[in-house]
Amino acid sequence: MDQLVVLESRALTKTYVSTAPPTEVLRGIDLSVRAGELLVIMGASGSGKSTLLYSLSGMDRPTGGQVLLDGRELTSLSDAEMARVRLTRMGFVFQQPHFLRNLDVRDNILLPALKAASRQGRHAAIARADALMERFGIAHVQDHGVTQVSGGQLQRASLCRALAGEPSVVFADEPTGALNSSMSADVMDALTDVHRSGTTIVMVTHDPAVAARGDRVVYLRDGVLVDAHTPGPWQEAEAQQREDDLLAWLRELGF
Amino acid sequence: MTSRARDRHSLHLRHAYDDLVRNRGVHAALLAVLVLSAFLMATGSMVVERLADSVGALAEQAQPPHFLQMHKGGYDRPALEAFAARHDEIAAWLVTEMVGYESSALSWHRPGTGESGSLASGRFDNLFVTQNDEFDHLVDEDGDVPRPAPGEVYVPVKYAQAFGLRAGDALTVSTDRGPFELDVQGVVKDAQMAASASSATRVLVSDEDLEHLRQAGGLPEVIVEYRLADAALADGFQAAYEADEALPRNGPAVTGQQIQIISTFSDGLSAMALILVSVLLVVVALVSLRFVIRQTLEDRVHEIGVMKAIGIPDRAISGMYLPTYVVMTLVACVVGGLLAVVATDVLTQDLRASYATPEIGPWTVLVPLIALAVVFLVVVAICRDVLRGVRKIPVVNALVHGSTSDERQTARRARRRARRVRRTGLASSAGTGVNRRLALLDLRAEGRQWALLPVVFLLTAVLITVPANLLSTFESPQLVTSMGAPERDLRVDLQLQDDVDGVRQELAAALEGDRRLTGLRAYANVQYRTEGAEGPVHLPVEVGDYSGETVRFTAGGAPAAGQIALSALNASELRLGVGDTMTVERGGESTEVEVSGVYQDLTAGGKTAKMQGEVTQGASAYLFYADVADGEDPVAVADALQEQFPTTAVFPMAEYLQQTFAGTTDAFRGAARLALVLGVAVALLVTSLFLRLRVARDRSTTGVLSAIGFSAREIVAQVRTKTLVTVTAGTLLGLVLAATGGEVLASGLLGALQMGVADLAFLPDPWLVYVLHPLLLVGAGCLGVVLATAGLRSADKSQWLRG
Repeated sequence: MDQLVVLESRALTKTYVSTAPPTEVLRGIDLSVRAGELLVIMGASGSGKSTLLYSLSGMDRPTGGQVLLDGRELTSLSDAEMARVRLTRMGFVFQQPHFLRNLDVRDNILLPALKAASRQGRHAAIARADALMERFGIAHVQDHGVTQVSGGQLQRASLCRALAGEPSVVFADEPTGALNSSMSADVMDALTDVHRSGTTIVMVTHDPAVAARGDRVVYLRDGVLVDAHTPGPWQEAEAQQREDDLLAWLRELGF
Repeated sequence: MTSRARDRHSLHLRHAYDDLVRNRGVHAALLAVLVLSAFLMATGSMVVERLADSVGALAEQAQPPHFLQMHKGGYDRPALEAFAARHDEIAAWLVTEMVGYESSALSWHRPGTGESGSLASGRFDNLFVTQNDEFDHLVDEDGDVPRPAPGEVYVPVKYAQAFGLRAGDALTVSTDRGPFELDVQGVVKDAQMAASASSATRVLVSDEDLEHLRQAGGLPEVIVEYRLADAALADGFQAAYEADEALPRNGPAVTGQQIQIISTFSDGLSAMALILVSVLLVVVALVSLRFVIRQTLEDRVHEIGVMKAIGIPDRAISGMYLPTYVVMTLVACVVGGLLAVVATDVLTQDLRASYATPEIGPWTVLVPLIALAVVFLVVVAICRDVLRGVRKIPVVNALVHGSTSDERQTARRARRRARRVRRTGLASSAGTGVNRRLALLDLRAEGRQWALLPVVFLLTAVLITVPANLLSTFESPQLVTSMGAPERDLRVDLQLQDDVDGVRQELAAALEGDRRLTGLRAYANVQYRTEGAEGPVHLPVEVGDYSGETVRFTAGGAPAAGQIALSALNASELRLGVGDTMTVERGGESTEVEVSGVYQDLTAGGKTAKMQGEVTQGASAYLFYADVADGEDPVAVADALQEQFPTTAVFPMAEYLQQTFAGTTDAFRGAARLALVLGVAVALLVTSLFLRLRVARDRSTTGVLSAIGFSAREIVAQVRTKTLVTVTAGTLLGLVLAATGGEVLASGLLGALQMGVADLAFLPDPWLVYVLHPLLLVGAGCLGVVLATAGLRSADKSQWLRG
């Protein structure tokens, strides 16, 4: 693979000093994410997967090391600059459907896009969001409150919100963790669809079936990247084989 | 106590401790509000108890009269004797001979140090007297009845308070026969004239010196005083006295009860203000507590669900949370009570000097304890009531959904939210406008959860505004129009004296010809009689020209010929209204007059009347009002006129008001300052308390906003917008309420105190009340946002999403 590196971490560390003794959650992570790649981060509970994801996205400030997005150092940015980066260059999908309860589905999706848009660019942002809702099959619930739609619909709305700003990278933290298997498959199909259209995705998951869709899977143990598995581009027909291979690899790592 | 009960208690206390520590900032703010409430309640009640005790103790020592009539000029002693012989209810009576000197005629010096000064700025009515034998004594600091030897003087407490006079100093009176020096032997307290609102004050000298002062040009005056077998007979006795034409009567008549009311009112006003402020603070504390408890229940819903699931009764669960608030309230009452002891000692220093040092009795301890117990019980009862909400929390919802609501409530809330979100219309905004729009949408959707702030700011705005309005009203020159007097620059008083009519003529001619004066109006104080509910009563009427805008009438208007206007107290006592007729009598001649209007009069006991006309002879006093011409200084003109007519009293109106209401305005000033400081402090405390909880509760929303690209600054700006909108709304509503309901409340309170106020219209200082104070309050709210959101910028945002 010789695609461009979009996101990169160098000797990334994160230590929580509020505990006694301080807890080292990430211990020198070196990681590169290439443009258009679906990178999956796996590991046991407490291994530091989510902390790595949030440190890469600038939601958490790492204790040491660097994070670069398109070659730009993120760790030295101010809070406002980092927020701007998240607004224009990143998208998020969480395990729980984190939405603003006082807005309907459409406004929740539109919120970051509208915030990023100029007054003139507002109509384009709205058109893009409308197209995404059509694409992911939630246009019919767009004026519903977020408490009135299903978990699967909410996760697809989450994906719409993440993509509405045309980000460089989408971060997904256990996107199917709170869904049943049918909804989970729906959401993963949507994510795969997004990935196929060229969007870079960094995803944390416990679920080997979900992880099998990744181009590359990295395994984290006690804050250290111990190994990587590279199934290559997703093919629906190879789904079972990919999952079996992944499980075998995970078993070797003691997962 | 059984070991099981002991275990339960220790568990509850440990739980309370954990709870307190867990939400340290919020509980500290809540505790501060509770301490302030308890402190003010205890201080107010202690000061009232000390004051009542002081006034009572001094009355015990000094034996003041139950009824007194002041009079200037000669009087018929046999008529007084005949009257006394006819009235068995009189236990004792006497006539106190007094000699008056202007403050400007008095000066002092301290031989030891050479210090000296004038008493002119005191503006007291200085009345030299000798010690009475039977009752109405002037007593010294030990409660003894001193009798000065010739050349000695005992000065009133007011001299000591205003000028620092003390034993060993010399008091010099400038008389027509030259300076007359007296050695100050000590200070005396006067049960009759102790009130800080009273400008008259008695100075104790020997018989020989009193005679000398009389002959050396002092103005003679008498007080006819009666001790009755029963103080409750005073009102009926006053009617009987006023019905007897032969008795002296050209000055004010006062009952002992009125003296006590004036004393307690003017000196107890601050204490009453403290109690009122504390009641408002208790309400603020209760509203805040209710909010904090509800938030705590929501935060601990999982824990409550688990306890319910394992079969712990609802009562026991709510019992686990109650100790936190019981402990806080108890600590607040103890700390507030202890602080109150210190504060009361400071606040009652002047009272102890003016009245008697009260004995420490059971009530001294019981009154503040009862006040604190009321605060404690009310607060704990409300906490218990809110915590009873635990029984309504459904177990499954608590465990599974982390919700305190049952299915119906959840469904209702979802429907309400759905209705609201349909009309959010965020798509009309873009760029930075999104942030503000989002804040307002949030506020619209969650208005009820933000209700604490407007409610507290409404209460604090009322708390700050009402005393400030009372102060500016009593300080405003316009107040005279509410006091039955026209708003003019100068007031000239001519009291009864030898050849008063001659002096009046000379004065009137001089004032009319004075080019520095404009708009001169002359009034005469004429004594009429009329029929009251219990027989004939004395009716002092100011006769003069009331055409044009002179006096503000609360009902009706100015009197024309054949009409009379009554002060509010007279109208209510005589049960007369506008359009009614009454018969007034003077010198055996009866006239029927129609009531043209009612005005309020805070002076002369509030019982006056006004008639149109001109009286130049036979009045008991004359009054002139005038404006000064452009470019003239009222103070300079007043000083010049005073010098020209030394037997009159000439006041620039501002000074007259200041002097008349000095005691009242001092009390209002104290209350206004205290209310401002406390109001702003409470606004700050409650804002930071509320926002700390709010920010903690909104952490998931804040996490979402942060993840999708809102900076900490923008998130703080949203909190600031919501706070600004709610505190501004509360403050504005508070201002409206203070201007309407506050005015009614203040009128009612002053009316109930028989101060002559029927309908007090606030005269606010608009810059202060409508600009500065609201800005301070809103500023306190903004500072609260800064304090409560300080941690947001440095926080790891992902923690908010990860719970």
